[in-house]
Amino acid sequence: MRIPITLLTGYLGAGKTTIINALLAQNPDRRMAVLVNDFGAVNIDASLIASRDGDTVRLTNGCVCCSIEDDLGTALDALAKSPHPPEHVLLEASGVADPQRIARHAGHWPGFELDAIVTAADCETVRERAADKFVGHLVESQIRAADIIALTKSDLVAPGDAESTTRWLHSLNDDALVTDAPHGRVELALLLGPRPGRPSPPAMPDQPHDAFRTMHWVPQHPVDTEKLSRLLSEMPRAVHRVKGFFVDARTGQMTLLQQVGRRFRFSAAPKTAAPGLVLIASGPDMDLARYHLAFESCQSTVPSERV
Amino acid sequence: MSEITVYTARKIRTMNPSMPEATAVAVRDGRIVEAGSLETLKPWLDAYPHKVDTRFEKHVLMPGFIDPHLHPSLGAILLPCHFITAMTWHLPDRVSPPVTSHEDYVARLREIETSMADPDELLLTWGYHKIWHGIVDRTVLNDISATRPIIVWQRSFHEVIANDAAIDWMKLDRAELERHPQIDLASGRFFETGLAVATKSMNPYLFAPERFGKGLELVKKAIHFGGHTTIGELAYPLINDELEWDILANTIEQDDVPFRMRLVPRGAGPGETDKAVERVNGFQSRKTHRLSFGNGVKLFSDGGFFAELMQMQPPGFIDGHHGEWMTAPERLEALARAFWNEGKQIHVHCTGDMGLELALAILEKLQFERPRFNHRFTIEHFGASTPEQARRIKDLGAIVSANVYYLHELGEAYWRQSIGYERASQMARLGTLESLGVTTALHSDFTMAPALPLNSAWVAVNRLSESGTVLAPEERISLDSAMRAITIDAAYMLGMEDEIGSIRAGKMADFTVLEADPWETAPEDLKDIPIWGTVFEGEPFPLGER
Ligand SMILES: [Zn+2]
Repeated sequence: MRIPITLLTGYLGAGKTTIINALLAQNPDRRMAVLVNDFGAVNIDASLIASRDGDTVRLTNGCVCCSIEDDLGTALDALAKSPHPPEHVLLEASGVADPQRIARHAGHWPGFELDAIVTAADCETVRERAADKFVGHLVESQIRAADIIALTKSDLVAPGDAESTTRWLHSLNDDALVTDAPHGRVELALLLGPRPGRPSPPAMPDQPHDAFRTMHWVPQHPVDTEKLSRLLSEMPRAVHRVKGFFVDARTGQMTLLQQVGRRFRFSAAPKTAAPGLVLIASGPDMDLARYHLAFESCQSTVPSERV
Repeated sequence: MSEITVYTARKIRTMNPSMPEATAVAVRDGRIVEAGSLETLKPWLDAYPHKVDTRFEKHVLMPGFIDPHLHPSLGAILLPCHFITAMTWHLPDRVSPPVTSHEDYVARLREIETSMADPDELLLTWGYHKIWHGIVDRTVLNDISATRPIIVWQRSFHEVIANDAAIDWMKLDRAELERHPQIDLASGRFFETGLAVATKSMNPYLFAPERFGKGLELVKKAIHFGGHTTIGELAYPLINDELEWDILANTIEQDDVPFRMRLVPRGAGPGETDKAVERVNGFQSRKTHRLSFGNGVKLFSDGGFFAELMQMQPPGFIDGHHGEWMTAPERLEALARAFWNEGKQIHVHCTGDMGLELALAILEKLQFERPRFNHRFTIEHFGASTPEQARRIKDLGAIVSANVYYLHELGEAYWRQSIGYERASQMARLGTLESLGVTTALHSDFTMAPALPLNSAWVAVNRLSESGTVLAPEERISLDSAMRAITIDAAYMLGMEDEIGSIRAGKMADFTVLEADPWETAPEDLKDIPIWGTVFEGEPFPLGER
């Protein structure tokens, strides 16, 4: 299985480092590697640091944080070859990187695949930046490329400004989820996707995104991928991520589904994986029940002879 | 003190406007004592022991040529490749003749393949260009050899094409290659981000110490071959300071090396701008006889010109794509401000007219905040520009180090496929700079252009495209300006004009020895003037047998 990469883009000062600092502080639920451009800006609580070796910091929670230095491919290879390869990579793109290009680069590097493009946007300045003669096009392309837009500093603007910025962001990219990231905090399951095959812990009361709901579905039968594809491509915008394993009715193979926004893909999974999908959405509980029913209907009526 | 050596010559073009011509130059301990004639030198010759060396009686002496922007490390990677090029490349150890058809390309590649003794050795060739050489793909290469790995490196470095043996040689999982949108296994093409996957496998080969060392020896020869006695390495280090300094100190600081090297460190780096200033200042005291750091620092505005990643102002590119920033504009400004206030000479890589616009906007702010004279803010490359920007360059006191070869190699291609005739024909707007009196140098940015100053001067004077069309004749410059641009004005770019760049009393005794006088040569033949060799710090270095 390839290691998923979540690409974090956004122009200078958009809050990428704040998001990374918040992520490292909230004890990720999987072995993470965070690749950053400039080590100096990352701020890791000393009590979390297990060891430090040049441009690599190991945290007590099993995560590593390293700087990319010169070459992304070399940095990724080093991660893949390490004794405990990460389960997930968060890659900070340089502020001036073309997000599509770096997503292609990282997402097709041997052994890795793209999970999602998350773009940080500073609520205070993003619209001004997008009108700038030098970087306007770049800032717009970062917004257009996003699956998820993390709106930073929304707590610092006048009431109503965050809503109007969100509307403006949607006018550029209707498919992306725009989510608040106060102090850089984005819910882990949203930022990195849920951990497949294992129910995530229930939402903590102090979590900022109490509007998010998760739904678990454990298919009892093999799944008709054609039906599932149709369902996924018709999912409403309120469904942000779907991830998990199921048995493909046609091939009998264990399959991994990963969906972010309206982008989804299937890939081969180890036989030993336990079937189970996790869906993250916003909106009323009632909708979750509907999604559940819709998934149920994707199960193959003809049981696969191999299962 | 040693004996004085007097070199007499058919003519000496001093590039000193107060005495443009001479016939004899007295040299002692590597420096010029006086230039003039045997008669005018008499007071010195009467006072000190001397000998007259007449070996240049039939030659024309010029100040040693200077390329103020060249990258030896990149050259060391390229030169060991087998060249198959559409245009003639004169190299120190061979001439790569023009190969301009598909049939000839394949025939030449086959010839190289059969000439290689070890059947498993990688055949790496550089210079392929589809416009000339048609479609060269995996099948074509498999037909040349099914067993020897063959990799074709495209002329502008943005693509490689591999045969099956080479794909195996890369030792990559074919399934991983198949899913890559920028790798086409059927045709064997690796491009853009797919190229990075191929270079990952090629790097150990390209940077193997033996190959790299051999490459540097070839670069040394190439620099001598072009008639240079000084070069500027304009972005030090390429990757690793410790390693590169060690290699440079060992290969360049040798008695048989007839040139010196001024290194300009990269300004950007991790950390805050004060860290960057500290790091750059740290280089300044490092010095050997041939290697030195000056007061310069290198910054980057927009992307590469050959890669079409320069930032263009509206109407932009015909295909609608956008260039890229090498440094975020705010970061560039912060770095430039820190170095400006430190009194540094700032060199900014600018290729498109929007990249230039950014550099000029920053310079304008800095001049307002803290005016400086003689700051020598240098625009490096100067691909696309507007006439109004040229005037602002003048008004702000900036200077230009231009890669004029862009016009020759890319002028027509960019006219037809990239930005249209008007802007493509006016790239390297040197005539306007000349009429404004902006100090201008010519560079090769080797390996982007051949490291041949006379060739660069030839493009600047004639503005001939690859097919022979004159592009924007209004922007041609005079021979005088072109020759200044590879001597005294190039020295000025490097802050070394007190030491080199012209032939006058007190300067280093660096000469380029020519078989003909550029001022007596038809402008279109300028690039073909044979070079006898050079004199470096008073000592003759003939080019010798090729
Ligand atoms: Zn360069």
